Amino acid sequence: MFRLNLKIAWRNLWKNKIYAAINIGGLALGLTAFLLMLLYINHEESYDTWSSDLQNVYQIREKHEFFTPDNKDHWQEISNSRVAGIIKQNVPQFTAVTKVDSEWGNGFSVKIDHADPILIKAIKDADTAFFNVFPYKFIQGDRERALKEPNTVVLKQSLAIKLYGTDHVLGKEFKLVRWRDDKGTPMKITGVVADVNTPESVTFNAISHTGDQDHDPDQPGSSHYNQVYAKSASKVDTLAANNSLQKVYIDYKKKSFAEQNINFKDIYKDGKRPGLKAIALKDVHANPPFAINWLTKLKPVIGISIFLLLVSIINFVNLATAQSVQRAKEVGVRKVLGSYKKQLVSQFLIESALQSIISLFLSIILIEVLLPAFNHHFNVELSFWYNDHLLMLMIQLVALFAFVTLLAGFYPAWVLSNYNPVAVLKGNYGNSLKGMALRNVLVVFQFIISVTFIIAIGVMQLQTKYISNKDLGFERDRLINLQTGYEQNFADKIRRIPGVQYVSTTTQVMGNAFNNKSEIIYKGQTFNLNGVSVSMDALQTLGVKLVSGRLFAKEYKQDTINAVILNEAAANLLGKNMVGKTYNKVNYDNKIISFQIVGVIKDYHNEGFDKTVLPTVYKVTKLGGTSNTNNLLVRFETKNYKGIINNIQNEWRKLYPDFPLHYQSMDEAFSNVLEENNRFMNMIILFSAVSVSLSLLGLFALSTFIAKRRTKEIAVRKILGASNVQIVNLLNKSFLILVIIANLISWPIAYILIKRWLQGFAYRIEMPIFPFLLATAVSIIIAVLTVTIQARKAAIGDPVNALKYE
Amino acid sequence: MIQLTNIEKYYANKGIKNYVLRLVTTTIKQGEFVSIMGPSGAGKSTLLNIIGMLEEPTYGTYEFLGENVTSLNERKRIELYRNHIGFVFQAYHLIDEMTVYENIEAPLLYKKVGSSERASRIADLLDRFNIVAKKDLFPNQLSGGQQQLVGIARALAAQPSIILADEPTGNLQSAQAEEIMELFKKLNQEDGITIIQVTHSEKNAQYGNRILHIADGVVKEDLAVLS
Ligand SMILES: Nc1ncnc2c1ncn2[C@@H]1O[C@H](COP(=O)(O)OP(=O)(O)OP(=O)(O)O)[C@@H](O)[C@H]1O
Ligand SMILES: [Mg+2]
Repeated sequence: MFRLNLKIAWRNLWKNKIYAAINIGGLALGLTAFLLMLLYINHEESYDTWSSDLQNVYQIREKHEFFTPDNKDHWQEISNSRVAGIIKQNVPQFTAVTKVDSEWGNGFSVKIDHADPILIKAIKDADTAFFNVFPYKFIQGDRERALKEPNTVVLKQSLAIKLYGTDHVLGKEFKLVRWRDDKGTPMKITGVVADVNTPESVTFNAISHTGDQDHDPDQPGSSHYNQVYAKSASKVDTLAANNSLQKVYIDYKKKSFAEQNINFKDIYKDGKRPGLKAIALKDVHANPPFAINWLTKLKPVIGISIFLLLVSIINFVNLATAQSVQRAKEVGVRKVLGSYKKQLVSQFLIESALQSIISLFLSIILIEVLLPAFNHHFNVELSFWYNDHLLMLMIQLVALFAFVTLLAGFYPAWVLSNYNPVAVLKGNYGNSLKGMALRNVLVVFQFIISVTFIIAIGVMQLQTKYISNKDLGFERDRLINLQTGYEQNFADKIRRIPGVQYVSTTTQVMGNAFNNKSEIIYKGQTFNLNGVSVSMDALQTLGVKLVSGRLFAKEYKQDTINAVILNEAAANLLGKNMVGKTYNKVNYDNKIISFQIVGVIKDYHNEGFDKTVLPTVYKVTKLGGTSNTNNLLVRFETKNYKGIINNIQNEWRKLYPDFPLHYQSMDEAFSNVLEENNRFMNMIILFSAVSVSLSLLGLFALSTFIAKRRTKEIAVRKILGASNVQIVNLLNKSFLILVIIANLISWPIAYILIKRWLQGFAYRIEMPIFPFLLATAVSIIIAVLTVTIQARKAAIGDPVNALKYE
Repeated sequence: MIQLTNIEKYYANKGIKNYVLRLVTTTIKQGEFVSIMGPSGAGKSTLLNIIGMLEEPTYGTYEFLGENVTSLNERKRIELYRNHIGFVFQAYHLIDEMTVYENIEAPLLYKKVGSSERASRIADLLDRFNIVAKKDLFPNQLSGGQQQLVGIARALAAQPSIILADEPTGNLQSAQAEEIMELFKKLNQEDGITIIQVTHSEKNAQYGNRILHIADGVVKEDLAVLS
C-alpha cells in the first residue's frame, strides 16, 4: 500500500507540476532561510565547547567604570590584575587561575631573523598558568613547562605553519616587537598547541610569557587590567562561589582603600557597589559586557526567518486545500473500498512528506550554494557538511522535516479524509466550501506579513539613507589615522611632507573611541563629562565646526594650561553662553583647579548612531610621551593621498624598521561603524523581499486555481450575458476584501515594531507615513493584477469548451 | 441476507420534513438479482445508499447477514466493505492517478491479501474481462464501457458476497450496456453473487430476477421476473 501511495503521490505532483513547483520551491526557500539561521545559532552556541574540560573554566568579571563607552559601572571582562592573586589565596574552589592581557592595538610585529617584520594579531601575554586553565592540546612541547621561563611563547599550530611552514618549531626564536619603538624581545618557542574546532571567546594565535603578567603594580593606587580565568576541580556551585568572590573582593577593596587613605563609603555610595563574579566560560560569548548579546541582536532575523517558513507553509496549505477537490473522488472511492480514515490521513501526509523531503534536499543544495556568500557577509565560518555537530544538525533536520510535514500536511489531510463518500460520489463536491474559511484566514495572514515587511523595508531604507547622509560633525575625507602614539620627532617629519596639512592626536576618534570620565564642578553642581585629551591642532585636523568662541591655537599660552572646549551637548548641559565661563575640577591630589571655557564646537560622532554623543570636554595636554593615544591623525590637502602615504611609510621605516605601519582612513572607520547595522538591514531586507514574493507567488497560484475552479460558473455567466469586465470584477472582489482587511491589521503592527526598531537609534527619522501608503498601494495593485490576469484568462476563454468539460 | 424494516428517510428543511423514503420494508435473500426502478427523485439511490451503509436511515432497522447494522461504527462498516460489499457506480469512479491494474489491486491491499494471491486474482479478473492489454493504462485512456468493466472488476476483486450498482450502465451505449448486464447475470448465476442495481431501463431490469418499483419513497410493487 505504501509503495502504491507513494507512486500516486508522485503522479499527483507530476499532474500539478506548477503548483507542486511553487509548493516545493517556496518551502525550499523557507527552509533555507530557516536552516541558515539554525546553522548560525548552532555556531554561536558552540563557542568554547571544544573540550569537555572547559565546563570547569570560568571568566572572572569585575564591576568597574574604566574603559566603558558611557563612563558608568559595568561588569567587565577585564579586571584588576590583583584579583587573580586574591582568588588564588582565598577561594579554594578554584584550583588554577590565570591572567591574560587583552589585545591592544592592531597586533604585534614578529621578526624572524632578517625577514621583514610581519604584523600578527592576537599574540596575547599571559602568566605561567594559562595552559593549566585552558586545556589546549600540545602538539609540541609540554603543558607544565612551556611557559615556565620568561620570554617564552606557545604558538597555535596554524600560526607556526604560517610563520615557518611547519609545526616542528620547538626551540626556535623570533623577535617580538610590541610597539613601533619597542626594542623587541627575543621569544623562544616552547610549545605548539592544536587549533580547536569550535569558536573561542579567548582567541589567540600565540600566548607569550614575557613575565609582565607575573606581578601586579607596586603602588596600591595604580593598577593593571587584564582578563582573569579560573578553573575548578569539579563543577562548582556558581552562586556560592560568587558569594565568596564578592566577600573576598570587598575585603580586598577595604584594605586597599585604607592603604590609599580613601574612604570606602565615599566611593561606594548612591547604590554603587563593588562587584566580582565568575561566569562559566560557555556563557561568556552570549554575555558581552557592552554590546547586546547575539541572541537579542538576532531576534528580528530569527523572527523573520520563522515568518518566511510560515509563509511557505501557508502557501502549501492553501494550495493543498484548494486542490483537495481534485482528490475528493479518490477519497470517496477509497472509503467504499474499505480504507480507514487514518489510512487516508497517513496517505496524504506521505504526500506532504514527499514534498517536504524534496524541499529539504533542495534547501540543502541551496545552502551549499549560498553559504560562502553568507559567511562572507556575516564574517563567520559556517559549514553544513563539515559541521562538528553534524549529528545534532541531522536530528534538528529530521525534527524540522517532521514539523513542516505535519504543519503543512495535517490540515489538508484532515480535510480530505473527512470528505463524505455519498456527497462526493453523488458528484456535488465541486462547489464544496471546505477549507475556504481557513484559506481566507491564511491569505489574510500572508498579506499581513507581506504588508508589514514592505512597510518595514521602506522605513529601514529611509533611516539608512538618513544615517549615511547625516552630518558627522567632522570631515571624514582626506583624513587618516595611523593608529600609533604621538611622537614629536615623527610628527614633525611627516608634517614636512608636502600635501600633509595637519598632524595631531586625540584620545577619541571614530574607530577608536576611548571614553574617560571627567567630573567637574560648575556653580556648585557636579557634572559628569567625557574627557578627551587632544593636541593643539587636533580639532582643526578633524575639521569640527565651531559654534562660538575659538579653537585651540599655539598663540594662546593659556591653552596648554587651563583652557577647555566643550561640545554642544556639554554646553547645553551646563547652561547658556558658556564661552568665557570657568568651572572647577578636583585633581587626583585633591587640589582644585579652575578651567576656562574658550570655545564650543558642534557635537561630532565617534561611534554608531545608536549612541548619543556624550557631553564632552576637550583639553590640550602636553602630548608626546604622556599619553599613548594610539591615534595619530593626518589630514591631507588633497583627495589623492596614496602617494603621500608612501612618503609617510618611508619616514616610518627609517624610524621604526621592526614594526609595520598600520593606518585606517576615516572613510573606512565610518563604514565599519555603519557596517554592522547595514549587514543586519540587508539581511532583513533580503528575507523580507523573499517572503513577500513567496506570498505573492502563493496568491498567484491560489487565484489561478480558484479561477480555474470557477470556469464553469464564468462560462454560464457569459452565456447569460456578463461582460469580461464584470467577470474580472467578480473574481477580484473577494480577494480585495481580504487584502484590505490585511492592510488594516498590519498598519498598527508595523507601526509598533518599527517604532521599537527606530528607538534603537539615538539619531533617527520621524515615523514616516509614506511607506505605509506605499505598502497598501503595492499590496492592492499586486493582488488586483494577479487576480485579474487569471480571471481574464478564464473570462476570455470560450464558454462552450468550459461547459463541455464538466 | 438483507432485512429492511420500516426504513424512513427525510430531510428537514425549514422545519418541514421532506420524506425521501417511507416505511420501506423488504427482504433480499442471498443469490438474488434485484433491480430497483422508479421515476427520478423517487428515492432509489437513497435506498441503495442505505443498503450500502453510505447513509443512515432516520428511522427503522436494517439487518445485514443477521446483524443489526442500522448505525454502525466506522471500523465495523469498513470491515463489511472489505469483505462483503462491492460498489459499482454510474460514473465508474475509478481513481484517475491509478492504472487499471492498480485500481483493481486497491481493495486487495486494504484487505491485506498476500502479494502472490493478489497477482493471481488480478490476472484472473483481467483475463476474464478481456482487458489484459489495458492493465497499464490510466482511466482517461479507456472508453466508458471499458472503464465500467474495470469498475466491476474492482468491485469483484475482494470477492464480495453482494454488489450494489447505481445505474451502472447509465452512461453507456446500449451495446456496452448489454455486455455489462450479461456479465452481471453470469456473476449472479455462476458465482452466486447477490446483486442489487438501480436502473431506469426495463430491459436491463429483465436480466435480474426481481424488480422493486419505488415512487415517492414508497415501494409500490415487488415483482418477480419470469425468465
Ligand atoms: N442532501 C439532501 N438534502 C435534501 N434533499 C435531498 C438530499 N439528497 C437527496 N435529496 C432528495 O431526495 C430525493 C431522492 O433522491 P434520490 O437521489 O434517491 O433519487 P433517485 O430516485 O435516485 O433519482 P434519479 O433517478 O434522478 O437518480 C430527491 O427528491 C432529492 O431531492
Ligand atoms: Mg439516483
